[in-house]
Amino acid sequence: MIEASHLSRTYRRGDGTPVTALQDISFTIGAGEFVVIRGASGSGKSSLLNILGCLDTPTSGQYRLAGEDVSALADDARSHMRSKRIGFVFQGFNLLPRATALENVELPALYADASPDRARARQLLERVGLGARAGHFATELSGGEQQRVAIARALMNEPALLLADEPTGNLDSAAGESVMQLLTSLHEGGRTIVLVTHDEHVASFADREIVIRDGGVASDTVRQRGRPA
Amino acid sequence: MSAARVVGSAWRSLARSRLRSFLMMLGVIVGIAALTALASVGEATRQETMRQFKRMLGTFDTLTIRPGAGSTRGMPSLGSVEPSLKFEDGPAIAAGVSGVKRVALVQQAFDVDVTYRDNASVPLVLGVSPNWADVRGESVVAGAHLSEEDDRSLARVTVIGADVARDLFHGEDPLGKVIRIADVPFQVKGVMASRGAGPGGSSLDNMLVIPVTTAAKRLFNRDYLTTLVVQLDDASASDRVAGDVRALLRERHRIIPPAQDDFTVGSPRATLEQISKVGSTLSKVVTGVAVIATLIGGAVIMSLMLIGVSERRREIGVRRAVGATRGDVMRQFLVEAILISALGGAIGVLFGAGGATVGALLQKLPPAYMWSMIGGSVALSVAVGVVFGLYPAWKAANVDPIEALRS
Ligand SMILES: Nc1ncnc2c1ncn2[C@@H]1O[C@H](COP(=O)(O)OP(=O)(O)OP(=O)(O)O)[C@@H](O)[C@H]1O
Ligand SMILES: [Mg+2]
Repeated sequence: MIEASHLSRTYRRGDGTPVTALQDISFTIGAGEFVVIRGASGSGKSSLLNILGCLDTPTSGQYRLAGEDVSALADDARSHMRSKRIGFVFQGFNLLPRATALENVELPALYADASPDRARARQLLERVGLGARAGHFATELSGGEQQRVAIARALMNEPALLLADEPTGNLDSAAGESVMQLLTSLHEGGRTIVLVTHDEHVASFADREIVIRDGGVASDTVRQRGRPA
Repeated sequence: MSAARVVGSAWRSLARSRLRSFLMMLGVIVGIAALTALASVGEATRQETMRQFKRMLGTFDTLTIRPGAGSTRGMPSLGSVEPSLKFEDGPAIAAGVSGVKRVALVQQAFDVDVTYRDNASVPLVLGVSPNWADVRGESVVAGAHLSEEDDRSLARVTVIGADVARDLFHGEDPLGKVIRIADVPFQVKGVMASRGAGPGGSSLDNMLVIPVTTAAKRLFNRDYLTTLVVQLDDASASDRVAGDVRALLRERHRIIPPAQDDFTVGSPRATLEQISKVGSTLSKVVTGVAVIATLIGGAVIMSLMLIGVSERRREIGVRRAVGATRGDVMRQFLVEAILISALGGAIGVLFGAGGATVGALLQKLPPAYMWSMIGGSVALSVAVGVVFGLYPAWKAANVDPIEALRS
């Protein structure tokens, strides 16, 4: 599913000095895996996820997604990749505040070459347990509910890959737990999930853990799910 | 993304922030309303001016020939009239120039007192040939027009205008009564139908006519005319006929180059074109002002859109993350700008047309709408949306999604 080889990413600060966020990162993630990426703040987790999500391109190295080399794709082609293959879940939910839950879930269909599918959006809302909230505006939902709407949105175009950056970071433990349960059940349904977190407990839901330190891979461990390594 | 979905999505986005959308539209509404209203009021006024001239001239399918080179300005007086136009010039033109239907002769008198018993008036006094009423399209409400017999016999008869009838007779029946024109008694033979107001709103009914032969021989002892009115078979041949008339008169008056004409051929049509040109110069200025107002409206749209783009960075980031291309974002914002502006334009046209109707009714004119201007206004508002939406849309398309999504 994911083949990252020797990925590096160097930013330029405002004054022109380079900041190396990622350096020589290589790993592969197979279809259906549930991988958690951990690391200290500033270690480069989000930078990595942005590249995996085709929002950003590596400064050097190669990234293949579903067999396709996307490290050098142009902006439009990366948009299409995101539309077809990737679902994002953010720490801050990022729902459109003036749109209803249902409209938020439908949003990705707007940019896919598919006909709008309200029934499917409804179904997804049922799936995340929010069928009754379809007509509510995002601002009328609790954090946990918003994140579940965001997950339904991420699933709208049936992407093979779900990327989540601290999805429970803004939630209390109960809401976080329900979000993790939802992600676990999606994983069990065959979805590939890559999740960034600080949280030891959240990490325990995954069956593989990649630790990033100073922009490089510090460890890559496969483990039994539900039991911290 | 299909066009319908782009428009639908832009529409929803505008509907969600009604106040801002309205504020964005305001400038365009005002500009386009002004444009439509001013243009339509201008059009109503222009049409009224045309009607006034038509009433004064009777018809447009005429040429008027006056004595003199045409350089004298202001109100003519007896002293300023050159004695160059002769009675015989009329029949000569009618016979010698093709495309001429008939020629009416007019001898105008100046400052003539007209009295009936103790009532006095100073109307316009015209000696006219019997065909004058036909050339002008005048009709009588009582009695009859001057006849060929009146002309031949130098009859002391007159046909009076509505104002003269009112001022001298105060409701009494004027027919058959004798009035004194420059102290000579004339019998009232007919009363002309009212023509209403001419250019500037002055009455066209304060006048009377007598046979031109009577005027020349019995009243003023003058053998020259103040106007020849040439009626054309076909108004579109006006220029050609004017040329022929000129050539004929130069020959008859024995004018040899380089001597100038001792007469002037005028065409109401040309005069009217002049007038409508003046009108359109004015309307160009007015249009310019309203266009500037609309452009300011466009600038308002642009600045509010730019604020909108920075406020909606997160939304843009989300859309990009779920698959929107730069082009999708650009289109969305551009279509929003165009919708706002076009909607503002449409509302402006409605207000403008309403304003023009009220304005025309206040001036007691039939309202007129300048459809070309209304169509142009709508086109202008769409163009404003495109032009002023382009930069904000480009800004929106270039929002960095990573930056925008960082929580
Ligand atoms: N656009 C940017 N320009 C310059 N430097 C950047 C930019 N984005 C990230 N960095 C730097 O790159 C490094 C890695 O940042 P990144 O956001 O990937 O860390 P992270 O592991 O996600 O941290 P956190 O856990 O706090 O979210 C940091 O030193 C950060 O300051
Ligand atoms: Mg981060």
